[in-house]
Amino acid sequence: MQKSAAEETAVYRATTHSKTQFLFDNERFLGTIFLAPAVIYIIALVGIPFIMAITFSVTDVTVGDTSLDFVGLQNFRRIIQTPQFQRALKDTFLFTIVAQIFVAILANILAVILAQEFRGKWIARMLIMLPWATPISLGTIGWLWIFDSKFSPIDWILQYFGLLGTPDAIFGASKHLNFLGREELAMASVILVHIWRMLPLAAVILLAGLTSIDSDLIDQAQVDGASFWRIHFQIRLPLIFPIMSIALLFGLIFTFSDMVVAFVLTRGGPVYYTQVLPLWAWFKGIDGGSLSEGAAIALFLFPLLLVVAILMLRVARRSEVR
Amino acid sequence: MRYRRLLFLAVLLMITAVIAAACSSQPVEVTRVITETVEVPAEPVEVTRIVEVEAEAQPKFPEGTEVKILQWSHFVPQYDVWFDPFAEEWGRANGVNVTVDHVNIADLAPSLSAAIDAGEGPTLVELPLAAANFVEGVHDLSDVVMRAQELYGPMAETCVANSYLPAIDKWYGYCHGWVPDPGDYDIRLWTEAGFPEGPDTWDDLLEGGAFIKENFGVPMGLGLSPEIDSNMAMRAIIWSFGGSIQDENECVTINSPEVVSAVEYLVELYNRTMTEEVFSWNAASNNQGLIAGELSYILNSISAYRSLQKIDPEAADNIGFVDALKGPNGEQHASAHLWYIYVIPNYVEGPELEAAKEFLLHLTANYNQAVFNSELYNFPAFESTVPQLEGWLANDPFGSRPPDKLQILLTAKDWVTYLGWPGPSNPAVAEVYATNIIPTMMGKAALGELTPEEAVAEAEAQINEIFAKWREKGLVGCNE
Repeated sequence: MQKSAAEETAVYRATTHSKTQFLFDNERFLGTIFLAPAVIYIIALVGIPFIMAITFSVTDVTVGDTSLDFVGLQNFRRIIQTPQFQRALKDTFLFTIVAQIFVAILANILAVILAQEFRGKWIARMLIMLPWATPISLGTIGWLWIFDSKFSPIDWILQYFGLLGTPDAIFGASKHLNFLGREELAMASVILVHIWRMLPLAAVILLAGLTSIDSDLIDQAQVDGASFWRIHFQIRLPLIFPIMSIALLFGLIFTFSDMVVAFVLTRGGPVYYTQVLPLWAWFKGIDGGSLSEGAAIALFLFPLLLVVAILMLRVARRSEVR
Repeated sequence: MRYRRLLFLAVLLMITAVIAAACSSQPVEVTRVITETVEVPAEPVEVTRIVEVEAEAQPKFPEGTEVKILQWSHFVPQYDVWFDPFAEEWGRANGVNVTVDHVNIADLAPSLSAAIDAGEGPTLVELPLAAANFVEGVHDLSDVVMRAQELYGPMAETCVANSYLPAIDKWYGYCHGWVPDPGDYDIRLWTEAGFPEGPDTWDDLLEGGAFIKENFGVPMGLGLSPEIDSNMAMRAIIWSFGGSIQDENECVTINSPEVVSAVEYLVELYNRTMTEEVFSWNAASNNQGLIAGELSYILNSISAYRSLQKIDPEAADNIGFVDALKGPNGEQHASAHLWYIYVIPNYVEGPELEAAKEFLLHLTANYNQAVFNSELYNFPAFESTVPQLEGWLANDPFGSRPPDKLQILLTAKDWVTYLGWPGPSNPAVAEVYATNIIPTMMGKAALGELTPEEAVAEAEAQINEIFAKWREKGLVGCNE
């Protein structure tokens, strides 16, 4: 019996449809499609620049001459000897570690507060997220004004309360604290801005962790007479530890590889007391014209970032298993 | 019928004339000198303009020729207001599509670096200093420089040093102007200190600055931080004390008794006249301090003063200018504040390259407008292009009180130097500048972290390394 034209069309449509359906039912195909944008993005913006950085670091490429003449490890040998590099390496670790310790403590406090019910909670949450939502360069320019050597509002407030600018004032007789002109204050200022910037992200991640804890566990502990601190340190913290590790590791990577804060606030000064590796790489490579040395300095970040990345993945996997 | 034939002949003649005009291989260059009257605060001033008249001229360049100019937002906004239409007007007259992009001054080197690497981007990039870094990635502009010198006489030495690299005999840039960096002082305070005309020597600066800080609590402001003004100020001290980073043959000479003396002087100057704020300064800080009346002396261009004239004319009247301070042996040197160095990357070719060169000559021909519209901030690379400069400085058209306040800048060409002085501003000099080795050396000594001798020795080690690296590439002289 011969099929009518309408039936044939229907069969054709059904076959085609099922073929398409089959394709979208194929996990392998779907996985490839969904992953492709991320993979392309990573190759284009991370993979290729990374390979270029390695290539540049073993050549004598400059901003004017992009031909690649192999020089081996000469660039690494040259930069390691300079006092600026040594100081930058030390400062990069110091700023990152100190900032992350503060972020861990403050994010815990903030997350516990935000987990409570109180009036205006959504406004508080929004305000806390603002530093993270603001472009880092703009935020840091705001801080630059706050720390200005002549027009700092902190100076004005301290002067107003008689804490600065008089012979017997606690903070000295000078009218200005010169936040960015003194070694300790400049370093503290850079660390403070890093904390301000990273705190919202860490707090929100921890808040997500806290809200995911089964409330029965907390209720049970309260019924058993456990105090707030005991509940926090022995129940909440162990349960959110995996997610807290991820928050901190994100913070470590962002802070370690950041040059904006130091660039805008101090340009590495006073002298080079706030020099960090990414900034020194910029000065040498772009401003100074030695692209190859800049790349070599930047690559010093790689081993640490690699360790941090491995740790992140392991922690993420552990939390997934749980 | 007869009427029709006549009409036909007339149309034929018109078409022939139009075709003949269109096919003319010789471009008709039509220029016209216009004298304009410009309204300024003091009194109307005549500024000569050489314009190429679009309607009468034939396009010199093929259709579609583009010139993309990348330069910084001028510190005197009026300059950009004048420059952009000026460039576009030249483009229209010559059949070139000219676009001008302004960016932050600090973004120019990274932009050029990226463009050279990518092999495409702007046609002309204007750099403020350290252009020698790009020497291998940009065109040799010796033909433009030679042509300009034929037309307008010799280029200012400070400009030559920032656009010519003797090691490879290449004019990598075209420097059309520079900016003097005089001393700016608070007249009232310095009169109290016994220097109504301002300090004349570095010793005067120490004596007067210390008196003012002690008696009025107002410090003096020479930057000691990683930024442009600090770099220039510290070099001025070194040069005036008889020292230098390199000699005229590009050999490193930083570790000398003269440089150690300069560092010792700076340590005393810092301790007696300044505060820690100088370690935190950016390029705008000393301007802000002077405007706020919180600094007795700074080393800067006249831009801060021009701003103050608009904000508070009375306060501006209290600002005076002095030329470069003299050192112990009477030597008087200070770097220019910055230069205007156009470079053309190697990827620019054909009519675009020719058009860019032509534009540079056109700009030079009209440099009196550039100087005027920068409110006397720009100084010409070719003195003959701005014959009015002496008159303007003697009687400031922008309302200085007294009108001859800026006359001191006429001496600038006698004491102005450049980053590599007495040698050229080669790539090694540019890297020493970019990595802030000199303010760091001075700063470490001022803070007592190192003795002057140790600070100079540490700087020397770094500078030697940098010079050796660029020497290996054949871009720095003094091959021993």
